[in-house]
Amino acid sequence: MWQVYQKELLELMRDKKTLMFVVLLPLLIFPLLFGLMGLVMSNVSRQAEAEEHRYVIINAERAPAFADALFYHKNFKKVETELTAAEDLKQAIRDDKFDVAIVIPADFDVSAENLNQSKWQLIHNSSSQLDMISKHFNDLLKTFSKKLQQDKLAGLGVSSDKVAAVLEPVTVERINTAESRENIGEKIGGFIAYLLVPLVLAGASYPAMDIGAGEKERGTLETLLICPISRSAIVLGKFLTVLTTGLVSAALTVISFGGWGYLIGSMAGVDVVAKTMETLGFIDLTLILALLLPLSAIFAALLLSLSIYARSYKEAQNYIGPVTMVVFMPLVVAILPGVELNWKTAMVPVLNVALSIKELVKGTIDYLLLAAVLGSTLLIAAAAIAFCVSWFQKEKVLFR
Amino acid sequence: MIQINQLAKAFAISKNNKLSDSEKNDVRYGGDRFHSVREVSFSCGAGEVLALLGPNGAGKTTTLRLLSTALQPDSGSVLIDGQDVIKKPLQARKRIGFLSSSTGLYGRLTARENVAYFGRLHGMSENALNERIDELFSLLQMHEFANRRADNMSTGMKQKTAIARAVVHSPKVVVLDEPTTGLDIMTVQTVLDFIRSLKQQGTPVIFSTHHLDEVAALCDKVVVINAGISAFNGSLEEFRQLSPTADLRQAFLQVLNKEVV
Repeated sequence: MWQVYQKELLELMRDKKTLMFVVLLPLLIFPLLFGLMGLVMSNVSRQAEAEEHRYVIINAERAPAFADALFYHKNFKKVETELTAAEDLKQAIRDDKFDVAIVIPADFDVSAENLNQSKWQLIHNSSSQLDMISKHFNDLLKTFSKKLQQDKLAGLGVSSDKVAAVLEPVTVERINTAESRENIGEKIGGFIAYLLVPLVLAGASYPAMDIGAGEKERGTLETLLICPISRSAIVLGKFLTVLTTGLVSAALTVISFGGWGYLIGSMAGVDVVAKTMETLGFIDLTLILALLLPLSAIFAALLLSLSIYARSYKEAQNYIGPVTMVVFMPLVVAILPGVELNWKTAMVPVLNVALSIKELVKGTIDYLLLAAVLGSTLLIAAAAIAFCVSWFQKEKVLFR
Repeated sequence: MIQINQLAKAFAISKNNKLSDSEKNDVRYGGDRFHSVREVSFSCGAGEVLALLGPNGAGKTTTLRLLSTALQPDSGSVLIDGQDVIKKPLQARKRIGFLSSSTGLYGRLTARENVAYFGRLHGMSENALNERIDELFSLLQMHEFANRRADNMSTGMKQKTAIARAVVHSPKVVVLDEPTTGLDIMTVQTVLDFIRSLKQQGTPVIFSTHHLDEVAALCDKVVVINAGISAFNGSLEEFRQLSPTADLRQAFLQVLNKEVV
């Protein structure tokens, strides 16, 4: 078995493709991609912040204070128009004559005695993800309304020192009983599994294809089968190889993200990595690893079984593609808000591990549940390995 | 000495596998099973070279896979020097060297590593393995590319490596499945020289082929397999006698036409 394991590892190490998937991807490409993504995002939002919106305002003379505030706002630029009807304004925005139209009713009167609610119109295209127009407009309107509120209240005989109490009779100070660890855990706990599990899968699937279906395609399988070594030993050697590459790939990613995080953190003055390590502690980290190990074993056995069944590399790829999709589903569910580890979710493979990791990071794990998750995952892993071994004994699988 | 007695092997047919008309006429289809090899018997003694002839799909490869324990027979026996291969496959495998034209090498390993890997799987000690590899590489003139990766080798180099790999453990019997199919003339010559050298050492060689000139040049015995049955089993001379003109092609066709059970 170790002969097979050693040789497979040696062969994989010499393969540029494996190096790509297992080493380069987590070490350089992922951080680079994430970094680029962050850069693009911040750029886009900065651009959106700085963007100038051309506006028209109808009946500006009815609310001069607001019109002035708008005029002096750095993101708004006044455009003149003769149009007044809402439909015409809409069309003009569609034709890109200007970006936004604010329609103040002609009967709006700041100093009116009677209290009537006034309905203004804001016409613009709000389909953009970063709807800066609404944001700026609301800010301006809020200031304007507040001033108006105070004036009206003063008119009704409310003295200025009582305005706050009238407008907001009750204020609430929130005191959070959750430790900061729980907050962090809730936010990043789910993502740990979301990141690590696909990495294990990606790191394992290429070698699995190579040493299963690849062996068939190259015509080396038959020779291997007639060596005086049991088929169980061969398949276990291969299984260990797949498991190793999967875990190495995941470990490298963690180290790489840790390293990059440390680097960026120390530059920015916030040490995220040290903070995370501090909150997690040794036992929790060990438990997370203990959960990931049997899960990786399940994947390795599953991928290898599929790969051995396939006649060729291409066929193996076709089988393994859908598996990745199936694995992703529970991971996505695990990061949905409100999904928690309980006896029901503990019975769903992959999901239970993802949720347990989340709870571990939060520091709120129920150890009985954890034992159940670990036990069931180990059981499935054992079954998957047993299946893989017996699968490898079948002539109809090996000689298709 | 290798003896094969009444080997038989059937494969399950999947239900949705539509058979063509000619396949339906094949006598080997019975119920839901395809009886690929029905009754094959022959033997090959020390220093003898046995040619396994037969049309495509006759059951040659299956027979050889049964011999080499890659597949398990339904019935029958294979004895190497009196030891049962089927009952003790792990031990028997140490006595068999197997090579086919389609057997590949591990492309990212060098010639030496490819051979060494199989030597180790055969349980050879490092010292014995190194000696044996040096011996084989000298014999096959492989030293110049011993450390080249299989991916970067010519077909001839690959086939030499495959040969070295097949006999690294000094097998008692060598089984070759169409070892010359699809190879160029130079490489074929390498394979034939190798078979000749095995013959000189007294190792029985069983090989399947479609090239009758190879049979004429090398073989002592001929077995013709047709529809899963060893239809002819005898010496090369006896085989030649089947045709009035002593032509091997004629003799082969004679055997096939004689009886289709």
